[in-house]
Amino acid sequence: MSTTRIILICSGKGGVGKTTTTANLGIALARRGVNTVVLDADFGLRNLDLLLGLENRIVYTAQEVLAETCRLEQALVKHKQEPNLALLPAGNPRMLEWLTPKDMKAIVALLEESFDYVLIDCPAGIEAGFKNAAAAAREAVVVTTPEVAAVRDADRVIGLLNTQGVSPVQLVLNRVRPKMMSTQDMLSVDDVTDILALPLLGLVFEDEQVIVSTNRGEPLTLGPANSPAAQAYTNIAGRLQGDDIPLMDPAKARQGLRAKMRKLMQTKIF
Amino acid sequence: MELILEVRRVITLYLPDRRLQHWRDALPDLLTSCPAGRLDLHCGDWSLTCTDLRDLQRILEVSGRQIHRLETTVPETVVSAAAIGLEGRLWGDSPPDAARESPSPRSLMVHQGTLRSGDHFQSDGSLLVVGDVNPGARISAAADVMVWGRLRGVAHAGRDGATGAKIVSLHLRPLQLRIASVVARGPEDQPVAGMAEQARLVDGEIVIEPADPQSMART
Ligand SMILES: Nc1ncnc2c1ncn2[C@@H]1O[C@H](COP(=O)(O)OP(=O)(O)O)[C@@H](O)[C@H]1O
Ligand SMILES: [Mg+2]
Repeated sequence: MSTTRIILICSGKGGVGKTTTTANLGIALARRGVNTVVLDADFGLRNLDLLLGLENRIVYTAQEVLAETCRLEQALVKHKQEPNLALLPAGNPRMLEWLTPKDMKAIVALLEESFDYVLIDCPAGIEAGFKNAAAAAREAVVVTTPEVAAVRDADRVIGLLNTQGVSPVQLVLNRVRPKMMSTQDMLSVDDVTDILALPLLGLVFEDEQVIVSTNRGEPLTLGPANSPAAQAYTNIAGRLQGDDIPLMDPAKARQGLRAKMRKLMQTKIF
Repeated sequence: MELILEVRRVITLYLPDRRLQHWRDALPDLLTSCPAGRLDLHCGDWSLTCTDLRDLQRILEVSGRQIHRLETTVPETVVSAAAIGLEGRLWGDSPPDAARESPSPRSLMVHQGTLRSGDHFQSDGSLLVVGDVNPGARISAAADVMVWGRLRGVAHAGRDGATGAKIVSLHLRPLQLRIASVVARGPEDQPVAGMAEQARLVDGEIVIEPADPQSMART
């Protein structure tokens, strides 16, 4: 078995940030110098290519590679600014039915030969799409938001991953709003980890820069790490590689914000 | 449609051992760790007179507590209780119908590890989970359900109609409880930390009370 890390990015619930996490983590890992490929297994609602700004460069998909109508190198789309990152769409949206767990294993076996990290962007749900995407995964990152429904679905997915022997399974808590947490209008970090009982790989704050960058097709981690979310993804990449980076503390982030506001007010007054 | 009841949390106050301390001396201390509300009074083998019981009632009432029911091993205490209008039960003679309908613990199934949302673990006998039962997970058994961990999902004991079946957990905060055909919403308040609790059927109502090791040994 190779030492390639094959990591499923999944959540159960849709719209919690799997694709955003895959794209930013892919860039962050590539920037650290590791050969990374992101595999879009959510090809029914394909948008990993969009987030990475690579939509117009896709010619082939993994399906053509397995059918031997093209070589793997031809189907891989290299990122413009980050040569260490490549994208492989598993299929195209009109061919939903073709992928089986066997196909998935075959694709990943090919990718394993030339990459250190394979990140698999998983579709929402727990049906066939999820099972296919998970078929070749060795480890997983479960993305959730501090909402009851998202946590419930994440819990379900973790149960399924456990039965498939995927390990380790780690947690990314996305769209954290320190203010709402402090007023208990949102589940706290402890509430979430208390139920899911997974090691916390990272916290990503709610950050409008995420939406701006999504629309531009330039993941946040490409730019300077001056937005909270960009810093968070960079930290997650570090922790994945074994760096010991302390977690952000929502309570401190809030104090920081208040201190900044106070300073701003003072400069205006004087 | 099933009628969904609300569970009632029972508070139990145990009088001290007669050989160690007089109940009058022990009461102030006992009350500091006992929440207000209706409570079951376990009198042990104290032989209490009507005057004793009236005094007890008065002491409890000024601190916002009412005696709901009284249990004792001494017949005289039951008589005194009846005389002042309290419901008393002689310990040891549990209601015959409950005994008859207690499920036979044919087998004990054990699950080790957390049950997560969507999991459903079942047993034809009793069931023991060594781990947590998360919200969204379900456990059901023909006899008793025991969770050596936190119960936050849905639990059903006495699935085939055994009204004597119990649900026991170290941390009882279920979404919903079912015993035989009775369904109840879980309690809103947090359980007392570090104290095992049990749910059982009393007069067609699911009540939650501190876990009773005696009754667990019986089944
Ligand atoms: N940390 C964040 N702050 C603000 N918006 C976010 C954040 N993470 C994700 N989003 C937004 O949430 C939406 C869903 O994200 P996406 O990654 O597509 O979810 P999924 O792949 O799980 O369906 C997108 O519009 C994205 O921009
Ligand atoms: Mg997506």
